[in-house]
Amino acid sequence: MENETLVLDIPYGMRDFLPKEAAGKRAVETELASLFSAWGYDEVVTPTIEYLDNLTLGAKGALEPHLFKLFDRNNRTLALRHEMTTPIARLAASRLRDYPMPLKLSYISSVFRYEQAQRGRQCEFHQAGVELMGSTSTASDAEIIALAVEGLRQVGLKDFQVSIGQVDFVSGIMEQYHLDKETKSKLKTALEVRNLVEAEQIVDGLAITKQAKTILKRLPLLNGGEEMLRKSYAFALNEQSRRALDNLGEIYRLLKAYGIAQYVRFDLGIIRDFGYYTGMVFEIYASGLGFPLAGGGRYDHLLSDFGNACPATGVALGIERVLLALSRQACVHPVHAEGVYLAYAHGFLDAAIELAQKLRSEGKTVEIALSVLDEQSADDLRRQKGYGKFLYLS
Amino acid sequence: MTSNDNDYLTIALPKGKLFSLSAKLLVRVGYTAEDLSDKSRKLIITNEEKKIRFIVSKTSDVPTYVEYGAADIGIIGKDVLLEANKEVYEMLDLGFGKCHLMMAVPKAEKREKLTDYDHTRVATKYPHIAEQFFGQRGMQMEYIKLNGSIELGPIVGLSESIVDIVETGTTLRENDLEEIVHIVDASARLIVNRVSFKLKFDRIHELVEDLRRVLNRGEE
Repeated sequence: MENETLVLDIPYGMRDFLPKEAAGKRAVETELASLFSAWGYDEVVTPTIEYLDNLTLGAKGALEPHLFKLFDRNNRTLALRHEMTTPIARLAASRLRDYPMPLKLSYISSVFRYEQAQRGRQCEFHQAGVELMGSTSTASDAEIIALAVEGLRQVGLKDFQVSIGQVDFVSGIMEQYHLDKETKSKLKTALEVRNLVEAEQIVDGLAITKQAKTILKRLPLLNGGEEMLRKSYAFALNEQSRRALDNLGEIYRLLKAYGIAQYVRFDLGIIRDFGYYTGMVFEIYASGLGFPLAGGGRYDHLLSDFGNACPATGVALGIERVLLALSRQACVHPVHAEGVYLAYAHGFLDAAIELAQKLRSEGKTVEIALSVLDEQSADDLRRQKGYGKFLYLS
Repeated sequence: MTSNDNDYLTIALPKGKLFSLSAKLLVRVGYTAEDLSDKSRKLIITNEEKKIRFIVSKTSDVPTYVEYGAADIGIIGKDVLLEANKEVYEMLDLGFGKCHLMMAVPKAEKREKLTDYDHTRVATKYPHIAEQFFGQRGMQMEYIKLNGSIELGPIVGLSESIVDIVETGTTLRENDLEEIVHIVDASARLIVNRVSFKLKFDRIHELVEDLRRVLNRGEE
């Protein structure tokens, strides 16, 4: 195959946002930024490049192959940030450690992960999110979930669902059967990827009662509403797993107060793959998209890895995935619909500039033709560019 | 069309060996459609009454349909699933399509230990599984990807060994090959998209439980 025209390509997993796509992205980001600020979250910006060691503190090993790495001039290993929670935890544990608690921070940033690119996730993608640090209360967990739901509603998404789980529920249940460390980690991995076949094989090989086996096998299928949560107390035989259920019940009660309980379901299996979660975890799904739109949870130990123990909870929304869900559910904002294309005959440029300035000050989008055009070709141009209104001065 | 249509459950079935066994099993839990056949020219077969759609696709594409949510559910061999390494939920071992992945070499040229094959060529349809298997044993191999008649590799001098699936071992014997290492067992699995599992949980859960009951009861 011979290239007819020269297309300069970009590295694997990177993308350009063309005007319409960029406008959609900007609209979603603007909406979320003003929402975060309305809920009392202050924006922070952290560097794109960090020391590798600082990014891998919370989840060593599995993470490294997915990072873009480079060296500085002293041969220290650097990496492009792969998410925003760790850099913000670093910030909170160091430069913001004397700020009054709780800290409420937000961000809208690009992050980088080297992995197989697929729809809704390139190697570089954009996230908007918030982190709430310095509070262990269920009110803070409920606020994070409510904020994420409100964000999706405000950008215009109609059909989505939140699944909430609790890391301590699964850990507590494993504890109550005294599983050894190796079994726990194997079983957790199988539950995390919902490989039920493997999970059952592991459980069947254990020397525990038949009833214990039944309970362990049911873990990944504990999915439902309030009723399911209540019934799950039958499996929770120790303090840790009972407290996890109490915690979810309390969060649910608050989400009812926020008026968003209709979006919520519980999933008591393991939901998120990041090692640093310690309590409530959640993901948000939309029909028509095979991947979660957003996810988050409580991570009380991450900051102590940076030397300043502090409980925290947060959420990240994937901007590209939100945009994809919006287009799948056909709720895209039209671009330029109310815009005006302003053209003019010879000698009317001054008047056109004056009129454009007046319309812009009224909040309208106005593009002025940059040369004299006849009315017909100006109108054709207007249509090509997608402007809804046409003005011609002559 | 995507599995977006919330009322429908979309099931991806592989053409070939597993198709009729899968269709037969699904009938027993009431999941079927008129004209459901892998010879059908229709790409999507719908049962409007029960709100089920079937996609019949090339075997190796089934995990992809399910990972992206174009199908909610799929039936696929564990061997294909391991090779594809997709993010899907593996819900159930359906018990049929039993086989195992193994390494075989020409009988006449059998070497003493597995590691004697280090840095040799291996013909396979499963380069990822093979690489993982040898990698864990500290062996580096040259992987030659073939799409069929793998056992031809050593015969025509393309490779020293093969990694392939075996059901009965007849093909190996006919070609004077001998299995030297068992790699992993495989059988047909029910896989589910991660988001469908949450959004259509009740329906999928019911199907899984029904299938489990039928499987436990055994062949009628």
